[in-house]
Amino acid sequence: METLQLININKYFGTGTSRVHVLKDINFTAKKGEVNLVIGPSGSGKSTFLTIAGGLQTPTDGSVQLEGDMLKNMSSKQRDALRLNSIGFVLQSYSLVPYLTVKEQFKLVKKVKKQNNLTNLSLTQLMEKLGIEDLVNKYPGELSGGQNQRVAIARALYTKPDILLADEPTAALDSERVAEVGQIFQDLAREQNTAVIIVTHDLRLINFADNVYKIMDGQMTLENDMKLAQ
Amino acid sequence: MFLSLKEIKKEKFRYGLIIGMIVLIGYLIFILTSLAMGLANQNTDAINSWNINSVALNKDANTSLTQSLITNDNAKNAKLTKNEAYIGQASVVVKKSGLTKESAQFLGLKPNQFIAQNLKLSSGHKIQKTNQVVVDEQFKNDGYQLGDKIKFNSESQNYTIVGFIKNAKLNIAPVVYGNISNWKNIKNLNGPFAASAIVSKNAKFSMKDDQVKTYSISTFISKLPGYSAQNSTFTFMIAFLMIISLIVIAVFLYILTIQKIQNYAVLRAQGIPAKTLVNATISQSVILVVSGLFIATILTGITAFAMPNAVPMSFNIPILSAVGLGLILTGLLGSLIPIKIILNVDPVSVIGG
Repeated sequence: METLQLININKYFGTGTSRVHVLKDINFTAKKGEVNLVIGPSGSGKSTFLTIAGGLQTPTDGSVQLEGDMLKNMSSKQRDALRLNSIGFVLQSYSLVPYLTVKEQFKLVKKVKKQNNLTNLSLTQLMEKLGIEDLVNKYPGELSGGQNQRVAIARALYTKPDILLADEPTAALDSERVAEVGQIFQDLAREQNTAVIIVTHDLRLINFADNVYKIMDGQMTLENDMKLAQ
Repeated sequence: MFLSLKEIKKEKFRYGLIIGMIVLIGYLIFILTSLAMGLANQNTDAINSWNINSVALNKDANTSLTQSLITNDNAKNAKLTKNEAYIGQASVVVKKSGLTKESAQFLGLKPNQFIAQNLKLSSGHKIQKTNQVVVDEQFKNDGYQLGDKIKFNSESQNYTIVGFIKNAKLNIAPVVYGNISNWKNIKNLNGPFAASAIVSKNAKFSMKDDQVKTYSISTFISKLPGYSAQNSTFTFMIAFLMIISLIVIAVFLYILTIQKIQNYAVLRAQGIPAKTLVNATISQSVILVVSGLFIATILTGITAFAMPNAVPMSFNIPILSAVGLGLILTGLLGSLIPIKIILNVDPVSVIGG
């Protein structure tokens, strides 16, 4: 089932002679239960792609549909609510609030979320799944890079989002942890029927992806052959 | 509130320093206000204790009790009721062998008029005869006792202290209440003078005498020598302190907010509404300022307890509360400055390149 669709997306930055065409006619679809990997070098446009997919930026042309709703027709407040309720973000760094314990990171989300379908049981299960149940009273500064990332993933999944958007989620991790995080994404996509989109230049995640896209100079191509090459 | 409390709990040292700074600002403002009020009260304590609303003075006295003289002819034109009383003022130096000389304000009263009748003594009795005086407790603190014989200036006449009274100050000098019949001698007046002034509880008191003019109590007090200048000085000092504290608190909150921009951007990316972050900033400011003022109040209380009687301080709870409220509003204003930054936080900034 199609959850997120980007249709004929173009994005320009700047004006006049300094105008840059960052995304060129991007068409992209993410389905529930699948892991989509978007790879590309720095400056290729993959972060712009992610921010447009997550409703943080609007495209110059084209449209973004989430569960059939057009993002461009939404107000800023509606997009905030959409990100809170339907989209989970896992960011490369600064992902957790440094002065909240692991438990409090979830408490904040629960306090703010209006459609409150969050239960302690589901949180406990999520923590056990990600192996962070013993870290609840620790602050982010007391956790390793891998533990931090797992907590960030758990927080993003806590709201049971339709889509999980991850920006370089393995940037700070060693190979063992990369495999661990990749497996978590794959399991969660399958078990929670979530559409996972990972933007990265880390090719070690390819084994965990259902679809691999490549962005180069603003153009996106499906590169599932890369999986075979791995 | 959740975010702000958690952050303060985690960053105890950082927020401890900020609260410490607010404590010092609050303490300084509270102490200065108390000193200013103490000094202001020492100008007017005696007048305030009379509960009067108007003062009739000689029209050429420039609203000065010291310069005013009401003649017997003037007095004949005054239809005095139980709400009016004569006051005869003279500046004196009180002497008693073995004790320090004291500069004081002698106020002559008629024993049957309301001021003499209503004096609330802390010890002794009211003036019953001539040559008896009731004096401010400052004399007691300086070693004077009931029954002591004192002299004024270079007079040979002895006066007996028959009572002490609290907070009887006029123009920062302790008051000596005596009989108005003694006043003329002390002031060396040979003419037909009845008093320095006639005071009244009635705000509309007037005399049919073009030599005498009636002033409202607020006008009379504002014209006390040095009173307005001194109060203006203190008011400006406190106002400038408030403005400086506003700037200091605002700068601190601005720096704190700037340090948190990355976190706020992540939270915004995750859909946490800007309103939640703004509320956290404002509530954090209120918590910091209220905590600081609470400690400042305790320190002020300890200072009030430890302060010697010679230091004119007045701890007026309603006024200090108003000053405290002003500081809270100042903190709130300071916290509003970085709000624009929070509202404009760009969540895209935390998505890597």
